[in-house]
Amino acid sequence: MSRVSVPCHVKGTVALQVGDVRTSQGRPGVLVIDVTFPSVAPFELQEIMFKNYYTAFLTIRVRQHTSTHTPAKWVTCLRDYCLMPDPHSEEGAQEYVSLFKHQMLCDMARVLELRLILRQPSPLWSSFTVEELQIYQQGPKSPSMTFPKWLSHPMPCEQPAPLLEGLPDPSRVSSEAQQMWALTEMIRASHTSTRIGRFDVDGCYDLNLLSYT
Amino acid sequence: MAAVEKRRPAMTQAASITDSGRPGVSRAAVTAESEEDFLRQVGVTEMLRAALLKVLEARPEEPIAFLAHYFENMGLRSPANGGAGEPPGQLLLQQQRLGRALWHLRLAHHSQRTAFNNNVGVAYECLSASGRKKKPGLDGRTYSELLKRICRDGEAPEEVVAPLLRKIQCRDHEAVPLAVFRAGMLTCFVLLEFVSRAGALYRLLEDPGLAVADRRVGQAVLDTLAGALQASDDTAPARYLEAGSRLGPDSLALAMDRALVARRPSAAMTREEFLEKAAALFIAKVKPVG
Repeated sequence: MSRVSVPCHVKGTVALQVGDVRTSQGRPGVLVIDVTFPSVAPFELQEIMFKNYYTAFLTIRVRQHTSTHTPAKWVTCLRDYCLMPDPHSEEGAQEYVSLFKHQMLCDMARVLELRLILRQPSPLWSSFTVEELQIYQQGPKSPSMTFPKWLSHPMPCEQPAPLLEGLPDPSRVSSEAQQMWALTEMIRASHTSTRIGRFDVDGCYDLNLLSYT
Repeated sequence: MAAVEKRRPAMTQAASITDSGRPGVSRAAVTAESEEDFLRQVGVTEMLRAALLKVLEARPEEPIAFLAHYFENMGLRSPANGGAGEPPGQLLLQQQRLGRALWHLRLAHHSQRTAFNNNVGVAYECLSASGRKKKPGLDGRTYSELLKRICRDGEAPEEVVAPLLRKIQCRDHEAVPLAVFRAGMLTCFVLLEFVSRAGALYRLLEDPGLAVADRRVGQAVLDTLAGALQASDDTAPARYLEAGSRLGPDSLALAMDRALVARRPSAAMTREEFLEKAAALFIAKVKPVG
């Protein structure tokens, strides 16, 4: 299935912490990243892809367009999705992650904005975030899914028609016709790029062209 | 020639010496020439090697006739028999060059691509290394004449090949590069094969009693071929598959069957018309020189 990347704007991470960030000894355990789509109309989200960097749990909330009158609502679409099975150890810490719409808790239509809430309970890691965030929506359906008619040829219903007697032998006719096709195809494929250098069009010359030469 | 005659007794001497075992040093110094040396000196070794290579390249069915023809051409090429210098001689020379080029071109079938390309190169050199006064190079007049000769000798009806000639001929004053020459030759030979295939196809379509083909059947086969050539898809593998399916026996039988559904006898299609229409399909795919 094809997908199309949606241009998005990822805001800076905001740490949730009690006390002053700079003076406090403890490191924050929760980060919030807002993602907006300034240049896109509300779209149906297909996939979220990112590279983890020491985030243990991920919650995603989505703001969806409902109608023109009521203000858009925030809905949690993913709750405490585990990115690192053990927050104290490396496993899953730097993996690429894809989250599809069927993994979400709610319908992902008409998305206006996303908010990623990152949690890392372990104090072992000095920082955590997600990188290379990319949002995809569903692309146009691939057009050539209908099979050409010749692929299922000859039709079973056409097959049993009894052939007239006195018809030329089809297999020999076919063999000659295929040879002729191959010869033509060979000439079509072999062409030289060398030109002989004619400047005339149907035997006439362009006056401007002549005056320049 | 005289130099060669002079050498001959020396050679026989040398041969007798080698036969009698180790030759005396003093006599060998006078005539230090073995049979092998002689052959090399007069150029026979090189000539035979070239001839053998040509035989290997062309793999003719009748090697003797092939070699006879080959050496005949060699004779024409050597300067002793060549340019007499007089105006009628010039014309004759031109004809000889054409004949030689044609002979080279026919040595290998176009499907033996490397050999064919080599021969095209040789033919091009044959034609372009012309008279002393003229600058080297191949002009459009010679090229067009060669094309005409090939088509005439190929036993294809004139009206069948005329459209192709119009498409790939050059004007008399134009200089023909090797690539254009090669493409023209290849196209010409392939068309001739195409026409002979079409002739065979026509024979298959012929009504045994009447010795002509039914117009509807002929047209149906040609239409099927045209359809296969204009396959919808542009990517090569899909196009080949589609053409294969369209030109399969089932599909052709159906087309012919449909054409004959009305059992009424209809007009006949002559062989010339069939060939012309078939060739038109081919020629439509040829890129014109420009």
